Amino acid sequence: MIERLADKVRAGERVSAAEALDLYRHAPTALLGRLADGIRARKHPDGLVTYIIDRNVNYTNVCVARCSFCAFYRAVGSSEGYVLGFDELFRKIDETIAVGGGQLLLQGGHNPDLPLTWYEDLFRAIKRRYPSFRLHALSPPEVIHLSRLSQLPVPAIIDRLVAAGLDSIPGGGAEILVDRVRKLLHCDGKATADEWLGVMRHAHRAGLRTTATMMYGTVETDEERLDHLLRLRALQDETGGFTAFIAWSYQPEHTELAGREATGVEYLRTLATARIVLDNFDNLQASWVTQGGKVGQLSLAYGANDMGSVMIEENVVRAAGASYCMDEVEIVRNIEDAGFVPKRRSMHYEILGDPIFREREVPRMLELATARQDGDTSVPEELLNYPARSRTGKQLRIIPS
Amino acid sequence: MPVSDQELTSLAATHDIISVGMLADDVRRRHHGLTTTFVRVADVPADIGAPVSIPAAAGEVRIVGTPTTRMAAVERVREVAAVAAGASSAALSAYSLSDLEQLAASEAVTLRALLEELRAAGLELVAEAPVDRLRDARRSVEEVNIAGLVLARLTVDQAPSADPLPFLKSVAELQRAVGVLRVFAPLPRRINPAVPTTGYDDVKRVALARIVVDAVPSIQVDWARYGPKLAQVALTMGADDVDGVSADDDASGEGRRRSPLEEIRRNIRAAGLEPVERNGRFDVVTR
Repeated sequence: MIERLADKVRAGERVSAAEALDLYRHAPTALLGRLADGIRARKHPDGLVTYIIDRNVNYTNVCVARCSFCAFYRAVGSSEGYVLGFDELFRKIDETIAVGGGQLLLQGGHNPDLPLTWYEDLFRAIKRRYPSFRLHALSPPEVIHLSRLSQLPVPAIIDRLVAAGLDSIPGGGAEILVDRVRKLLHCDGKATADEWLGVMRHAHRAGLRTTATMMYGTVETDEERLDHLLRLRALQDETGGFTAFIAWSYQPEHTELAGREATGVEYLRTLATARIVLDNFDNLQASWVTQGGKVGQLSLAYGANDMGSVMIEENVVRAAGASYCMDEVEIVRNIEDAGFVPKRRSMHYEILGDPIFREREVPRMLELATARQDGDTSVPEELLNYPARSRTGKQLRIIPS
Repeated sequence: MPVSDQELTSLAATHDIISVGMLADDVRRRHHGLTTTFVRVADVPADIGAPVSIPAAAGEVRIVGTPTTRMAAVERVREVAAVAAGASSAALSAYSLSDLEQLAASEAVTLRALLEELRAAGLELVAEAPVDRLRDARRSVEEVNIAGLVLARLTVDQAPSADPLPFLKSVAELQRAVGVLRVFAPLPRRINPAVPTTGYDDVKRVALARIVVDAVPSIQVDWARYGPKLAQVALTMGADDVDGVSADDDASGEGRRRSPLEEIRRNIRAAGLEPVERNGRFDVVTR
């Protein structure tokens, strides 16, 4: 049975839900890897493995969604809550450009005190100062949050954000696109599976490219993990708007949900299965930030063709217990050591060139930065210009800093 | 089926890590089937008088560190053996064979005499023999055996070179000569932090070790040293024994939510293998 399915995959045929489940559950790990690697080689016969130099910035940790798997968020009014100021973000962009980056991956909590105009002004300000800098920003649940906050439909929100400078949408907040799971994780409120997919559909129709993600290893069944992949595949058939898929394992430390992290072999099996199921996705990223550099590199043998981002900064996964770091030198060394040719890319997977550190001197990075230094409780001045929804937010607006 | 030199050279050069891993897994299954052993270790420092705490779950009590003098080495073994005898049925291991070689030379005694003294003090196993640091690997390993001790594991101090084959062949040759090696841990103990080994390096080294050093029963990975994820993947590519699992089962300590025993078993099972706990004497532990 498994060998017949393997032949089907080798022949480039699409697998059904039941077939994918059989492979995931019963195929030896090495066979799954072989099949996934064969697909990678067919899609990327040039032997290139790409990566992007960008910075993963979380503009606020204040969030009303309260997902039980999240260790990053702080409730409205928490003394540990923060919002980054425009000047702080400009400084982060300057640092990103200094190491060869050209994009921010900008995501944050669902902060009721940041209205749509705050985002529009921020995007416009960034584009004014850095016209060619790209904004890969606001995952579907954040778009939905803004839609609810401003009482505008999702397409209108996307149009306004694009007009302000949004270039593409990251696939965060997908978790598992099955509402039973989302209810158990307390994340159905921020976006149901249909709502998440709906934002991506609108974004693709508006001409934006987006990524798709999966956070697995919480409460979902194998069938639900596969359902997630199949729903992404169906939307990709419809729109063709996803550039890449990224899977990562749930990180349990300091979360309300707690539990344990899926193992490294489970990650490789999940990645390989995703490569087999998502036959209409061109790119699969390795999640070194959750798996570490070593299993991240081994992902290249299990279907991944992209090492993701240099990141520079990371807050969400670190809050949940993982703190790996790979700068460009390290990513390139790992790609070449695995027998591939490293190339820098854009979010749209356009090849930008060879490693930047081979063109000019770039400072080494031995650990990822955080959003803010510990103890920095400053409140950005420009927040006073925007109406707040929460009581705490309103008080902050009244009291001069 | 033995692998030819030409095939080995080609395996060592390939980036097809899955093919190398599958070959190694075949060898591993021939030796052990799905059985994957692990040992829970309680480390105690080599300093005389340092507190000794031995959890009941320990399968091996290991004195770690470099003894400063022969007398200190023997005395520390005596101290720990006395505590271990009253507290646990774990096997007592200590020291690196290369350190003992140096100690014997510096104190102008034979290695055998030093090993016999340690045995008389209560030692059962020499904890490790870093093969690339031994002055005379064959002779020193034989001396361990003659002194009535067991070598817990043959180890590697530093990754020898880009081409691991000559080194692995020398380990296979050593086993042909001595015939007493039970466990080979092929991943280097010391890593250059500026250029750490990669996942491909590590997994390929484990797989090649399993293929080349066929006559040593077990290929070992260290849970704590290399991390659960890499170590677990290595189990699917030739390794069959796990060292360095904590003997401390206090799940409330160090912020742990799961005990080390539960975690190691879960990881081994998730790799499609069957966990079997052993002690330092290589006896299966049933709890």
